[in-house]
Amino acid sequence: MDAVTYPDARVVSFIDENMIPFRVLYDAEPLSKDFNIKWTPTIITLDSGGLEHHRSVGFLEPDALISTILLGIAKVFFDTNRFDDALINLEKILKDYPETNSAPEAIYMRGVSLYKNTDDPRELKEAYEKLRDKYPESEWAKKAYPYRLL
Amino acid sequence: MENKIKWETEMAAVIDKARSENKNILLDFFNPG
Repeated sequence: MDAVTYPDARVVSFIDENMIPFRVLYDAEPLSKDFNIKWTPTIITLDSGGLEHHRSVGFLEPDALISTILLGIAKVFFDTNRFDDALINLEKILKDYPETNSAPEAIYMRGVSLYKNTDDPRELKEAYEKLRDKYPESEWAKKAYPYRLL
Repeated sequence: MENKIKWETEMAAVIDKARSENKNILLDFFNPG
């Protein structure tokens, strides 16, 4: 991460604009125990109160890190019932980082957020159909599989 | 804008800054070795 991802100008800019960056040694207590850290890098999105909403384990190249952070931001909004704000960040992932591992989960979360906003189950079915067509091997296509029946 | 990430290293300071700037926190557990 230090050799490739963190020096990337787009990463520096994105983090500067959107996040408070906080770095901790993998074995520094109490945080390493509080967050049950077993491998590095472990990258976690916390809300402004310090509550975890999303984590990723393992190396991420620049686009993957930015999309992971966007997903984390979306989950902060989703977890606090701010579905419109979650959707803004999920749409950014799908528009700008469709090749990253966050994209299939973003489609799933987008469908759920739209359903939460509208109570229209067709949003869930549409999410499944997009996952089936674009990311058929992803775990999120499997998780959305029951929605094909809606 | 800084040309590198300016990491915070203390939780209390991070929470204060996150609340004052209304931002979320990117927490990176790393191994320097």
